[in-house]
Amino acid sequence: MLEFWFFIEVVLNGMFAGTMYALIALGFVLIFKASGVFNFAQGFMVLFAALCFVGFLEMGLPMIVAFVLAGAIMVAWAFAVERFVLRYLVNQEPIILFMATIGIAFFLEGFGELLWGADVHPLDIGIPDGAWFVGPDGVMMVQQFDVSAAIIAGGLVAVLALFFTYTRIGRALRAVADDHQAALSVGIPLNQIWIIVWAVAGLVALVAGIIWGSRLGVQFSLSILALKALPVLILGGFTSVPGAIVGGLIIGVGEKVAEIYLGPYIGGGIEEWFAYVVAMLFLLYRPQGLFGDKIIERV
Amino acid sequence: MAAVEGLQEDGHADAAQAPARDAGEIVLKLDNIELGFGGVKAINNVSFEVRKGEIRAIIGPNGAGKSSMLNCINGFYKPQKGSISFNGKTMSAMDPHFAASNGIARTFQNIALFRGMSTLDNLMTGRVLKMRRGFLWQALHWGPAQREEIKHRAFVETIIDFLEIQSIRRTPVGRLPYGLQKRVELGRALAMEPSILLLDEPMAGMNVEEKQDMSRFILDVNEEFGTTIVLIEHDMGVVMDISDRVVVLDYGRKIADGTPDEVRRNQDVIDAYLGVPHED
Repeated sequence: MLEFWFFIEVVLNGMFAGTMYALIALGFVLIFKASGVFNFAQGFMVLFAALCFVGFLEMGLPMIVAFVLAGAIMVAWAFAVERFVLRYLVNQEPIILFMATIGIAFFLEGFGELLWGADVHPLDIGIPDGAWFVGPDGVMMVQQFDVSAAIIAGGLVAVLALFFTYTRIGRALRAVADDHQAALSVGIPLNQIWIIVWAVAGLVALVAGIIWGSRLGVQFSLSILALKALPVLILGGFTSVPGAIVGGLIIGVGEKVAEIYLGPYIGGGIEEWFAYVVAMLFLLYRPQGLFGDKIIERV
Repeated sequence: MAAVEGLQEDGHADAAQAPARDAGEIVLKLDNIELGFGGVKAINNVSFEVRKGEIRAIIGPNGAGKSSMLNCINGFYKPQKGSISFNGKTMSAMDPHFAASNGIARTFQNIALFRGMSTLDNLMTGRVLKMRRGFLWQALHWGPAQREEIKHRAFVETIIDFLEIQSIRRTPVGRLPYGLQKRVELGRALAMEPSILLLDEPMAGMNVEEKQDMSRFILDVNEEFGTTIVLIEHDMGVVMDISDRVVVLDYGRKIADGTPDEVRRNQDVIDAYLGVPHED
């Protein structure tokens, strides 16, 4: 019986980690949907947003003000990206847009350091940090922080999924992703759509940055976290918001379960590479991911 | 050389057609358009005008600059010289958003549909500019925005009926056969309630039956909605049958302009299609 509860605990922990991955992956999905481009800068946006938030907090501003200000900065950032970069790249090859996002990433990293310095900033936004003990005799331990983070992440993901599936912006967004020219020909304002997705991706980055930041501290390695989103994306499909959630959960649960139950047999540290191996298998057998649009090439 | 056969064959429809059509006012006028890509002149000093309610064909051999011309009209290309007058406004180049919001809709030579979306959703994108509620309202998606959505949905249904595509309403368009995709693309353009409809080879790659259907739709759109149509087509039989006036381009130049009958008899046109023997 103890075994069983332990298993549940491992799976739950995996799911909590998974929602956090999903949160990062979500930012990528949004921009990929609207421009067919992997936004290399997403991790740096997470970092930059968190830096702004922490910076405002350290100035002594109330948390809600800091959040609104940081959010406003991310929206302004979306306008700037469209105005100074994307506008000139309409109808260009995806690889060119990708290169542009690499440039944006390095700019953002430097800019963030210039504004807020390179120190690690501890962040405490008052998420309860105790643990609950559940099950018979409290055999199972659940971190309160994990639960709160999962609820926030899950809620955000759900809202965005609904937003993009059931509203007309969602339709316009899918239209832009499918075909720039056709979208222009029916009068969909490409530039506005880009501003919207970059702004939403920026806000998602802010939430992700705050949650990850309050767990690990706001530091420059946050931008590297974004790498963990890659296997999630490959699994879930680059174009699917629900895919990002399920992908995140599978990766999160998979790596925890593998660590605990396979670890003793083939050596520990599985958590580090498990996600990438799963991603590789998917690339071999199902490159569009679980939920992505099927890739059909006319020959 | 089906094109040439069509060119030389005597028209059977235009005899009845030509006198019946009134020449409407000029709605679109292109003056001395020049467009080059690097060293290549795609369009060289071409002028023509489009009158209200007519079916205006642009024909010419491959690479004559026909599609480039359409791209200038709806603002994808900005001509280096010349001017475009539309709705009483003269400008050096069109802007795609301006064109779309002022009633210029188009289809593409290589179908440009939103492949992952259903027929219905594709048509609904054509209503984007007709929706008065801003993006924020749409995001909330209730109250006025939802009522508006229902209204537009009803309009789109009339187009679905008109084009007889009821049965593929929910099908992702990427899965449809080519001829139907062309029809959906026409539907999306019609959903914009255009005053001018630009059709880039609407019948390319179709079989005879599909061509007949498409011709019928084009004529119906023209008659029932009074839509002005500018059309590029390679099938001479069709062009000569359905169009009121024809512009002929060759190597980016205009070599003829007139009724199908006039164009058919024009020596330059015949040369362009059949080729001229070289002296040397």
